[in-house]
Amino acid sequence: MKKLALWKIRLVMFLAVVGPGFITANVDNDAGGIYTYSFAGARFGYTLLWTVIPMTISLIVIQEIAARMGAVTGKGLSDLIREEYGIRITFLMMAALVVTNFFNVIAEFAGVATSLELFNISKYVSVPIAAAVVWVMIVKGDYKFVEKIFLGASLFYVAYIVAGFLAKPYWPDALMGFVKPPTIAMMKNNDYMYLVVGIIGATIAPWMQFYLQASVVEKGVTAKQYGASRIDVIVGAIFAPIVAGFIIIACSATLHSHGHYNIRDAADAAQALGPLAGQYASILFAAGLFNASLFAASILPLSTSYTVCEGLGFESGLDKKFGEAPVFYWLYTLLIVAGAGVILIPGFPLLKITILSQVLNGILLPFVLVYMLLLVNKAELMGRHVNSRLYNVIAWFTAGAMIVLTVIMLRGF
Amino acid sequence: MPTLALSDLLGLPVYDSAGGKAGRVREVALVPQEDQNHVSAFVVRTLDGDRLLSTSTVKSLNGGIRSTNSPENWAPYGSSEGMLLLERDLLDQQIIDVHGRKVVRVNDVDLLADTGAYGSILLRIGAVDVGARGAVRRLLKNVVPNAALRPLLAKIPPKMIPWEFVNLIETDPARRVRLKISSDRISKLHPADIADIIEELAPAERDAVFQGLDEETAAHALEEIDPKLQISLVSSLDNDRAADIVEEMDPDAAADLLGDLPREQSEQILEEMQPEEREEVEELLEFEEDTAAGRMTTDYMALSPHARVSDAVEMMRNFEGGLESMSTVFLVGDAEKLVGAVPLAKLVLAAPDTRLAELAAEPLISCSPEADEKEVAEIFDKYNLLTLPVVDETGALTGVITADDVISILRSKL
Repeated sequence: MKKLALWKIRLVMFLAVVGPGFITANVDNDAGGIYTYSFAGARFGYTLLWTVIPMTISLIVIQEIAARMGAVTGKGLSDLIREEYGIRITFLMMAALVVTNFFNVIAEFAGVATSLELFNISKYVSVPIAAAVVWVMIVKGDYKFVEKIFLGASLFYVAYIVAGFLAKPYWPDALMGFVKPPTIAMMKNNDYMYLVVGIIGATIAPWMQFYLQASVVEKGVTAKQYGASRIDVIVGAIFAPIVAGFIIIACSATLHSHGHYNIRDAADAAQALGPLAGQYASILFAAGLFNASLFAASILPLSTSYTVCEGLGFESGLDKKFGEAPVFYWLYTLLIVAGAGVILIPGFPLLKITILSQVLNGILLPFVLVYMLLLVNKAELMGRHVNSRLYNVIAWFTAGAMIVLTVIMLRGF
Repeated sequence: MPTLALSDLLGLPVYDSAGGKAGRVREVALVPQEDQNHVSAFVVRTLDGDRLLSTSTVKSLNGGIRSTNSPENWAPYGSSEGMLLLERDLLDQQIIDVHGRKVVRVNDVDLLADTGAYGSILLRIGAVDVGARGAVRRLLKNVVPNAALRPLLAKIPPKMIPWEFVNLIETDPARRVRLKISSDRISKLHPADIADIIEELAPAERDAVFQGLDEETAAHALEEIDPKLQISLVSSLDNDRAADIVEEMDPDAAADLLGDLPREQSEQILEEMQPEEREEVEELLEFEEDTAAGRMTTDYMALSPHARVSDAVEMMRNFEGGLESMSTVFLVGDAEKLVGAVPLAKLVLAAPDTRLAELAAEPLISCSPEADEKEVAEIFDKYNLLTLPVVDETGALTGVITADDVISILRSKL
């Protein structure tokens, strides 16, 4: 009894300090992320680790910008784009976001399917149930409560950090991987470039920026109290790439170094946790992936509906009835039903589509970034909270680099 | 009277008196100081800079704008001071739909063209388009040929807000005054609707709308607003104005609000208040918020049991508290001791000279100041009450809890 109470107190204390920044970063390590990092590690070993450090810096800067805009203006990103750049730009941006996020939703349900397949539960059973649970939970249930449960469960990610150590990677090589730039030969390898864009897209997903800014606004953070939020955002933005890095290391040390270059299904990916959990690796992997997928599968369609409806001026909000906010509910329902539905197509390439979704994130990212940067540099909007020069340099560089990487990647196709 | 969409007007070619092309429309301007409804000028982008073409020299709008003179006579466009620019200030921005009682985003503006004196054109704002029609028109303009676009638009049912029901939101106080953007229209709404609208807005707009309200409206709206926002709204006011608003509030709502504010600020506000209101609120501030005393109001009606119905009616005429506390007249004896309660319905049905003591409802229900919220709600439910008197240990009436407070308690627990 006493033990339970103590555990409860600790959990409550943990959740009390956790804010939008940390939550956002955690949702970032969703099914798409886990598979992309795993695949990257298995396929190319440590040679993709160089992406982690610049990516972390970019993520900190970008998330900080989104949170700051939310705190200063009290408005969502799609609202601001609409007010400053008109309906046409907003519409195009929202259309691109819906398409990209649709693939992300598919990836989340693919995560549900593959994680439960490890327990021999057919996707024809798990996916429809998961879709129904997600829909009902959000529409009828208490979202804040759900968020906390998933967040507590996302500590599963720590397993990768432990597994990364237990796998006894050859550390000099692994550490060199963080600083060694790719060779020209690698840059010419289509699969390699595809994964570079995918890894970045998985970590710095466009929809996260909309989601984070909206969360900050919803939490009622103002410019005055922004200091505390900034810490929350930075901590979250460091945590997410660390997990990403360790997934790559774990997969590299267990799969790549044993000549197992390709991940065909979830059981392959679960092997990375072998050094930690041995024969229970697949259970640990499945639990982590299932949690991450279900969490993201509930947040993603919801956040997409909010963003689109706000930007285009439709009624939105869970406190409204279906008839009062039809576009909001239809879009939300459609993303879930269609996203889960395509998974049920026999022979659907789950893993391929999952990684493709992260690549699409990477392609859309610079466009979102450009508008974020234009907005955050407007003095009439941000006052003295406009971007510093360093921030501008880092963020513009990220946008530029993503465009260049995308072009290099697409040239190979 | 043909209607024109603002989005169609923007970019329209402008011709001078000789028929030569002088430029294109960049903005449509209103000078609200002179006329709230009519367009006063077009900002025209010409080869030598932006110029202001007054609508009084426009003779036709068909197939482009035709002016009666040439660009040399059009004033150079300097600043937008004093002007409401429809593209910049209205398109894609949020406005308050006073009729539908909500915040909406503008997709397009419908203008009505009349012929004025000497054949000039009078362009009046008819309505603001917040529906799909305006959105589709702006999305597809110059993408889909006009011949195909028009029938498509005709199929979309319009969603218009007549201009007289539009309340603009302007965050800059100086500009708000200059443009005569008032909150008259929103002030006519029910305080609960105003509260909903304010809650929907971003902080800057929220403060702007709230600051535009008169004290009484602001006070009633504030009572309905989420406590967290109450604090941020009141913090944006100077203490003098905050005190004026708090004075107008129901004392128990005022006490709740001041109790939530930082101590220093609430003391400064109390200092600015009238002594009478201050005393009432200070008394209530002593109590814990989730007890009967913390929920009660001190604005209630009390008379001697010997008073007559006509006295009660007279008292009601002069009563300044909320309508909800008028549903019961309390009877108090010496030292404010509660001896009875008369429901409003009984007063209405009785003859004017009936003694109130004869009308008192049995049994007399009351609770102690320390009673917790749950107990209060249970008493209301058990006895089907509209009001519940709060009585201290000496039996003296100290305040009254009304049914609306109980509903708030219950809702916060849902």
